[in-house]
Order: sequence, then structure tokens, then C-alpha cells
Amino acid sequence: MLALETERLRKEYDGGIVAVAGIDLQVEEGQVFAFLGPNGAGKTTTVRMLTTLLRPTSGRATVVGFDVYKQQHDVRRSIGVALQEAGLDALATGRELLELQGKLCGLGAAESRRRAGEMLELVGLIDAADRQVKTYSGGMKRRLDLASALVHEPRMLFLDEPTEGLDPASRQAVWQEVQRLNKQMGMTVFLTTHYLEEADRLADRLAIIDHGNIVVEGTPAELKASIGADVVSVTFGDSGLDAARTLLAEMPGLREMRPEANSLTLFVDNGTQAVAQVIRMLDAAGIEMGHVTVSHPSLDEVFLQATGSRLEGAEAARGGGIDGAG
Amino acid sequence: MALAETTATATREALPAWNTWRQALRATMLLSAREVRLAVRTPAYLLPNLIVPIFFYFIMLGSLKGFASQAGLANWEGFLLPMSLIFAVQGGSAGLNMVSDIESGYFDKLLLTPASRMSLLVGAMAADFFRIMAQATIVLLVAVVAGLHFETGILGAIVMVILASCFGLAYSGIGFTVALKTGNAQATQSMWFLFMPFMFLTTMFAPKEALSGWLSTAATVNPMTYVLQGLRSLSMEGWDAGDIGTSILTIFVWASISISMAFLALRGRVR
Repeated sequence: MLALETERLRKEYDGGIVAVAGIDLQVEEGQVFAFLGPNGAGKTTTVRMLTTLLRPTSGRATVVGFDVYKQQHDVRRSIGVALQEAGLDALATGRELLELQGKLCGLGAAESRRRAGEMLELVGLIDAADRQVKTYSGGMKRRLDLASALVHEPRMLFLDEPTEGLDPASRQAVWQEVQRLNKQMGMTVFLTTHYLEEADRLADRLAIIDHGNIVVEGTPAELKASIGADVVSVTFGDSGLDAARTLLAEMPGLREMRPEANSLTLFVDNGTQAVAQVIRMLDAAGIEMGHVTVSHPSLDEVFLQATGSRLEGAEAARGGGIDGAG
Repeated sequence: MALAETTATATREALPAWNTWRQALRATMLLSAREVRLAVRTPAYLLPNLIVPIFFYFIMLGSLKGFASQAGLANWEGFLLPMSLIFAVQGGSAGLNMVSDIESGYFDKLLLTPASRMSLLVGAMAADFFRIMAQATIVLLVAVVAGLHFETGILGAIVMVILASCFGLAYSGIGFTVALKTGNAQATQSMWFLFMPFMFLTTMFAPKEALSGWLSTAATVNPMTYVLQGLRSLSMEGWDAGDIGTSILTIFVWASISISMAFLALRGRVR
């Protein structure tokens, strides 16, 4: 059964700014679905439409079987949402906040109290439960926000950039929690992210959105396999890029070449052979290289091939290579 | 692509339907209780609303009582009290909690619950009404302890607190409207300045007969004049149905407009 389905879902703001250009999405029940894209691509706008916070300009969407426009009330009863900014009441204690959330979601007083306690245990905040939220750290606030999204046992969870701004340890904790909710409780999760690693680690399926359009969709394995080639990346100093581009265009086994600001990404049949060949050819031509890497296709390359650019921060996340090979 | 055929039975039965007035009332009470808790935890936020009206009352009492007696105004305390109550009930803080929730993102969190969206505004307004009423009661009690003679007795004092609080609620509609429309704390707080012409272009310091020229005209068209007149009749003259009725009507019209505007602003925000 489909937990989420959209049909030409579109949002256009005043002044003709198109945030989401009419997207079609399908998410199966029990899946973790990642919505990947750079900042400003339309991810948050999509989540706000799917969670009834924003009215679509046109198109339709159903969440757990309910129309997000005509059956908003039923949608809100069935979903939990943690938005990009952890929206919390700073003057309430963690326990008060969760109890109020439970009651507003229709639970009785005793049930809300019980669920609040369980959630505080779950996210490791039981010791801070009776402190005001304003005394919490950023990571604690994010965990409390997640707990408040879960307090009424929703069928589907929406997480908008759930690990943005978190330290690596807190990020790992959120990932583990998302996996636990999905595997143990069968909860469908729709998460937006601009971290490739996050999408790769968590998602059963993912879609890449760019400028309001979905440019590619599939499982991480399918998308990586669709590239069907190894990837060699070469960075250059102030000069050399143009000459290298001309030179390497003739290289045997080259499928595609993508130039960027100071680097070239080569999609090749055999990465091991190609990297040696690239170094030989550039060296022979006297072109100075900075950094050469060879890798199997990752979501970074999927993203590059689909959108023509890399996600911010993806460069730093890529694996090691050969420094100063030239 | 055809959307899947589904029915409302798809949701969990454990959660009760949230579309009856009883559940909306429960949400309103829960949100109202939260607002009261916020107010209790930020007493510094409430103090100016008490100190300013009491300060004005005693300064005006001490400095102008002699002039008032010479002008034939025997119950100067009864004349001043409504002015202080109006200061106490408008307070300038309406909508500030809401705008703070909007800025922090908590308002979105509340919008994402199945609670009636109207409850968000009604709950905040109800809490504001209780805060206003408590402030007005304290100011009135201080004035009574300091020697105020109340022409209509205890019942009149109670009616005055209720009328002033209703006016405070009507006035708060402006703050809530700006809060919901702009989501900006500074814009919401700046609405305090709107209070100045309403308050000063009126019979605040002198009876209408003593005003002349443009100020008299301004006071005549200023709805605040009629609110003050109703309140003053209770403290100075006795049960005057005409003055009290006009005051109630003025507050009702004001509330109808400002609260409707606030609901429209809420509707605009959740679109």
C-alpha cells in the first residue's frame, strides 16, 4: 500500500516564484524515503505541503490515504513531523512539552503522561525531563523535537533535515533512531536531507530534487548502478583545466567528462587503469595536477550526473586520493 | 497516474475524532493553560502592566487634585481610575507570546497537531483575558485601599473590571492581528504606539466640556471616549444605563472588528 502519493504537486509563491514545479512521488508503506537536494531546491516546501502547513497551488497529494487539502485533520492525526528548526516552547519543561503535545493529538491525560515518559527515555532525556527547554543544548532540543513528533504513535514520520547542525555523535544517534523506528515499528519515514551519506545510509528509495523538479528517483543501489562506470576526479591549480579537458577527451574508456570550477570528473570503464593513464597523459603534457581520486560511483556522482553540479559539502565527504600526483 | 483509493478508516482507531466542539474546547483550555504558565514563568513581563497604571494614578492624583477640586470635580479619584484601568488592560503585550511561538517555530508545531486551528487563537485570547482581568483587579484594589470612593459600590467595581477587561480583549485583537500577519515581534510591540492617539485624544485628563477646538472634535469621534465615559459613570455617577450601554456597544463593535481581523490573519497564515 502507498503511504504517500503526489500527482503534479506544485507550489508557486507570489511573484511567480516556483518552489515546487509539479512533482509525482510514490512512497510505499514501511519505507524510508529520502528527498535529496541542495538548499532552495524545494524540499522544505514539499514537506510543508505534505504536512498541511502550506496549501499547494495545484496538484494533489495523499498521505496515509488522506488528501492533504481536503482531509487535513486526518492527515495531522496520522503523522509526526520534525521540521528543520526544532520548534519548541523554551519556557516549558521537556515533560510538559511532550504531555501537551500528546493531549493536543487526542491522547488522554494519563496516556499523555505515560507516553511522554516513554519518549523521554527513548531519546535519552529522562534526566533533563523537568528542566526548561531553554537550558537544553542543540542536540537535546533536536531529540526532544523528534520525541514530540512520536508521542502520539504516528503512522508516518516526516523529518526535515533531521541532522542539520548536529555533531557526528548526535547525527549517528538520530540515524539509529530512524532505523529503529522503521525496522522495529514499521513506521514509514519521509526525510529531506542534503547529506548524501545520510540518504545512502538510511533510504530504501530516494528522489533528487533540483529547482523544484525531481530529476532522478530510485533505490540508492539502482541509482549508483545506473552510472555503470568508475569515477576518476582530478583537481587542478589556477591553470591546466582547459588543456586537460581537451587532452583527456581522447582517452580510451572514457564515457563522460564533467568539468567543474577547478576539477574534472571522468566516468570511465575501469577506474584502476584509467587513473594511471590520466596521470601519465597529464604528466607527459606538463599539466600540473592537485589531487586525483578513483572511486566506485556514489550518490555524489549520481547527483552530479543528474543535476550537473555537486551538493555543497560533498567534496569534503569524498574519499581519499593521491595528493600532488602531477 | 491515479491516486490510490482510500478511506478514512485507514487511520488508527485509538485516536478519537477531533472535530467536535468538545474537543476544540479541550484544546482551547490546554493552550490557555499553557499561556498562563508562560505568564507565571515570566513575571518581569507582567510587572510594567501593573506599575505604569498605578504610577500614573498616584502622580495624577497628587499633582492635579487641587486643580480638579477648584474646577468642581469632587471625585478626582473616580475620574482617574478608568484611565489607569485602560492602561492596565491594554498593556501592549497582546500577541507577543504568539509571535514568539511563530519566530521559534513552535507555532508550526501546534499547527501540525489535530487541534482546531481556531483553538490556537481562542486559547491565547482567553489566557490574555484572565491576565488582563487580574491586572485590572489589582489596580482597582490599590486605588480603593488608597481611598477611592466608588459610587456604585462593590457590584459597580466588579462591572467596571469586567468592562475594562472586555475592552482589553477587544484591544488585544489588534496585537494578535499584527502578530499573525507579520510574525514579527518588533512590529507587534510597536502597536503600543497606536494606543497613544486612542488614549490621549480623548477625555483622559479632563471632562469633555473642558476640551476645546480640535481636541474636542477628536474626542467626540474617538471610541475610547465612550469606553471611558461608561467606566467613569460607574465610579463617579451611579448606574447610568445610557453611558454604560454606549460603553458596552463601543467595546462590542471594537471587539467584533479586531477579533475578526485576528481570525482572518490566522486563516491567512495557515493557507
